[in-house]
Amino acid sequence: MKQEEEADSHIFNMAASISGLLKPWTPRVLLVRWSRYNPYYLEPEVRKEAYSRPESELSAEEKEERELKKLRPIKAATNSTTSSLFNDPVLSKFINMMMKHGEKTLAREIMMQTLENIKRKQVEKYHKATDGQKEGIECNPYVVFHQALENCKPVVALASIQKGGKYYQVPIPVTGNRQRFLAMKWMITECRENKHRRTHMYEKLSQELLAAFANEGNVIRKKHELHKMAEANRAYAHYRWW
Amino acid sequence: MAANCARVVGSLFGKSVNFASSTRPVTLQFCRQICGTPALRRKNLGPTVPETFTAEFIQKQVEEFEIGKRHLANMMGEDPENFTQEDIDRSIAYLFPSGLFEKRARPLMKHPVEIFPKQRAVQWGPDGRPFHFLFYTGKQAYYSLMHDLYGRVLKVEKHQDQLRAKGLFPTEPKQIALGPSRWLTKEEMEALLVEPISRQDYEHFIQLMERLLAMPCCSLEQQFVMSHRQQLEAQSMHQVVPPLQKDDAGVDFSTAEGRRKSSRGSVVVRDCGAGRLTVNGQDHLHYFPVLQDREQLMFPLQFCGLLGRFDLDCSVSGGGRSSQAGALRLAISRALLSFLSQSEGEAMRQAGLLTPDPRVRERKKPGQEGARRKFTWKKR
Repeated sequence: MKQEEEADSHIFNMAASISGLLKPWTPRVLLVRWSRYNPYYLEPEVRKEAYSRPESELSAEEKEERELKKLRPIKAATNSTTSSLFNDPVLSKFINMMMKHGEKTLAREIMMQTLENIKRKQVEKYHKATDGQKEGIECNPYVVFHQALENCKPVVALASIQKGGKYYQVPIPVTGNRQRFLAMKWMITECRENKHRRTHMYEKLSQELLAAFANEGNVIRKKHELHKMAEANRAYAHYRWW
Repeated sequence: MAANCARVVGSLFGKSVNFASSTRPVTLQFCRQICGTPALRRKNLGPTVPETFTAEFIQKQVEEFEIGKRHLANMMGEDPENFTQEDIDRSIAYLFPSGLFEKRARPLMKHPVEIFPKQRAVQWGPDGRPFHFLFYTGKQAYYSLMHDLYGRVLKVEKHQDQLRAKGLFPTEPKQIALGPSRWLTKEEMEALLVEPISRQDYEHFIQLMERLLAMPCCSLEQQFVMSHRQQLEAQSMHQVVPPLQKDDAGVDFSTAEGRRKSSRGSVVVRDCGAGRLTVNGQDHLHYFPVLQDREQLMFPLQFCGLLGRFDLDCSVSGGGRSSQAGALRLAISRALLSFLSQSEGEAMRQAGLLTPDPRVRERKKPGQEGARRKFTWKKR
């Protein structure tokens, strides 16, 4: 309750008055990153399962959060989120990152073709494999996609830190969001640049995803190189102060 | 009046035409000052002090307002006894129609208490001696509040010591039932004390209040604490549920509108049991060829698990394909509220279906190429 109150008072310091909290909002001092929502608004919870859990299963924090959600206004759900089973936040993020010039339909089409391609290749492999190997082959393209991205996520990255007039490459731990971003960024850059101009994007992307799923390929190699560099610069790890 | 509007016009030929009063000498002046008033001519104005309104002045304004209200009621042919503020607003809007866009610039007639800011009465007697012992601190209301609060903290501590001496000290601290509430904001505190408070003062006050709340026997001061807290009401109370109507065939239906960017959509949701969707006369598959838009239309129905039950008749205009879909989604969610219970409506609100999306296109700024993109930086 105390933290909420402190957070509340902090937010009230930012907002002018109570009646102004529920309107489309522009901050008094224009920051570089701001949104039309007053910071008073909370993020929406779109999944249906979150609302069907009974009171007994919740921990104290979750109960507090539920109470808070009843009192605060909630932001509108974005255009690409739905409550259906096919909605995947990681996939949506990847499609957004692949999108160019706001053409969401094209990006989504490429992604769907990629997943179809992965499925076709895996099913072909499944039918050609012997009985002993059949269990090891994953045919669900969503599972392949998630696992491939997981395999591409780096654990440490390098940061340029200035000490005594020189800049050193210091290994630092990577947060969850940054890991996901780096994995997706490498995947997309790799597929855009290192392909033959006659190959379609979905073709190259499905090849890379399957390679990453098996811990091979250029993206995995890039991740390993980054890890090696971090290992080499281990001596400077104490330059990090956070 | 003529003396105020003095015209001093000098000409190159040395003649000066002077319409001033006899007190002003006729001189050769090469300055052009047209239509001057004493207020304009007065330079070196000192710092402006906020106007203070005496109690008698406010009283006179209140009497004038009451008399004016009765006159207005007579003019409009209504009963002077039961003339409410809404009637006054309506009459003024009728008698003085204004096309101004800024609502605050239009003619208004309100009770003087609402117009004149609340001010403190005179703080000192006829001999010049102040009434309050903390007057010379400059923030007497704030400091007296802090003194009062600290006195209560000491009282609670003394009570705790007494209980401990008797051996009746409570093992589980009895917390005050705060309920869904928050501390009053700085603006609200200023309105309460009729005195400006600085940010540090406000934070100091909140810290001392938190310290009082942290004590085990703080329930003694419950009333004092609650007088400085604002109750928060549940957001679900603000939802407007469209009424459930019945048409000639006995089918339940409800109508709602939605908007997104510059699109405006309205939908009629019928409880037929067919699951058909018509948008602007066409089938939804023709109107929204993109899967994402159709997903957005189905989102509220799928969330509530009512996919095949309703017939939707939508009309939408303005904006692009994505914003039209968003407008219809909001309209469908609002219309569905009349078919659902309050807890399901609350679940929809927490899923973000009932908030109108405030995001609009950001304007282009001068000196930049777009809203955020700057021109290419050239070193020279």
